[in-house]
Amino acid sequence: MRYEYTVETEDLAKYYQLGEVVVKALDGIDLRIRRGEYLSIMGPSGSGKTTLFNMIGGLDRPTRGRVYIDEVDISKLDAYELAWLRCRKIGYIFQTFNLIPVLTALENVTLPMIFAGVPREERMRRAIEILNRVGLGDRLHHKPAELSGGQQQRVAIARALANDPVIVLADEPTGNLDLHTGLEIINMLRQLNVEKGVTIFTATHDLKMIDVSDRIVWIRDGKVDRIEKRVDVVVGMEEI
Amino acid sequence: MSKSTVESREVKFPPGEALRFSIESIKRRFVRALITAVSIILGIAFYVGLRTMSDIMLSIYGTSEAAKSYQLWMAMISLIVCAVGILNSMLMAVTERTKEIGTMKCLGAMDGHILMIFMFEAILVGVIGGLIGAVVGWLAGLLIYIGEYMNVIFSSALLTSYAMRMGEGILIAMILSVGATIYPAYHAASMDPADALRFEI
Ligand SMILES: Nc1ncnc2c1ncn2[C@@H]1O[C@H](COP(=O)(O)OP(=O)(O)OP(=O)(O)O)[C@@H](O)[C@H]1O
Ligand SMILES: [Mg+2]
Repeated sequence: MRYEYTVETEDLAKYYQLGEVVVKALDGIDLRIRRGEYLSIMGPSGSGKTTLFNMIGGLDRPTRGRVYIDEVDISKLDAYELAWLRCRKIGYIFQTFNLIPVLTALENVTLPMIFAGVPREERMRRAIEILNRVGLGDRLHHKPAELSGGQQQRVAIARALANDPVIVLADEPTGNLDLHTGLEIINMLRQLNVEKGVTIFTATHDLKMIDVSDRIVWIRDGKVDRIEKRVDVVVGMEEI
Repeated sequence: MSKSTVESREVKFPPGEALRFSIESIKRRFVRALITAVSIILGIAFYVGLRTMSDIMLSIYGTSEAAKSYQLWMAMISLIVCAVGILNSMLMAVTERTKEIGTMKCLGAMDGHILMIFMFEAILVGVIGGLIGAVVGWLAGLLIYIGEYMNVIFSSALLTSYAMRMGEGILIAMILSVGATIYPAYHAASMDPADALRFEI
């Protein structure tokens, strides 16, 4: 089934109690992300980007409000369904890559397919194919520590794509990379979005991300500050 | 239940896969496994060594209640020391992998799957450490009597009790190892992935 909105949030809030003070990391976010959209969340440090990423990805529980993925309220999912959602529907990319240090690039990419129940031969075949696609065909048996930051992030992208997710969530995917490598990663995400119609959600400070995003949501103190559509930008882009 | 028409929405992680993962994990974190194993080996070696000696003494000098309870008491102390050592190293071994656990949950792992991996690792390290410790302890126990009582220490009655002591040692090693892992592993596995990912030692 195809849904118009892949992700919807409704009055989403997350408060942290730190002693006497309440930190409102998110405070009433209403967001609708269309299927196939490339959406970037921008905002200063501490504005709530990572918190929003965690909520949408089903990695943390909101204090208030709801998150719908393909029109399903994820707070209603049981443990099996939630694991399935994380395994099959969503691919995660992190600023710190978060690869399993003792596993090779190939094994890191096959791991999510184990949970998806893909047979061994098929896992290997697919993982090699995806790693080739991200340009790491010659690094299959390297451990993360033996790879550069950009290469590690490409492994992480390959891992996120292993189970053909409909959504890729990325939290500062270029945060630890230099300008050039960052651009490479951004182009890779954009290509994925255009060619495969994967919905992309990135939380970032990286202004390079503006060029490829369909919409940019600026947040501040846990609230939506303003939303810019790509049409505002796209005209300029295509004339260049 | 219309599971027949809809694809079953379940993630999988058969025990075979978990076991393979555990074995690889031990092999590739060999130093960490060794640290844990050493505390098991020492504790069990001490335990089995003492028990072996008391079995031999028993067959040479006959029963002495005082000696028996003294030996048993020493063995218990050795186990407590061993348990503290294992608890400490298992706690570290699990805690330093909290972030990895969070990552695995993002990839579809369920709490039970994580727990299964750690249980297999604990059993493997427990059995291997226990086995080595039991053999070392037994040999050490024998060595003390081997000159004078060569003919006595290999009597068939003693051979059975050696085997029993070693079995005991391995079983205790496994129980301690699993016991020390279960709580930290359960705790780390049941964290929300966001908390586990943010975790720094
Ligand atoms: N586990 C937590 N406990 C307490 N406060 C938290 C926790 N996580 C986040 N916060 C607070 O919530 C607010 C938003 O944090 P968040 O990590 O979402 O910001 P961010 O936009 O991702 O920032 P950055 O750009 O630096 O990554 C911050 O004020 C932060 O201190
Ligand atoms: Mg952040």
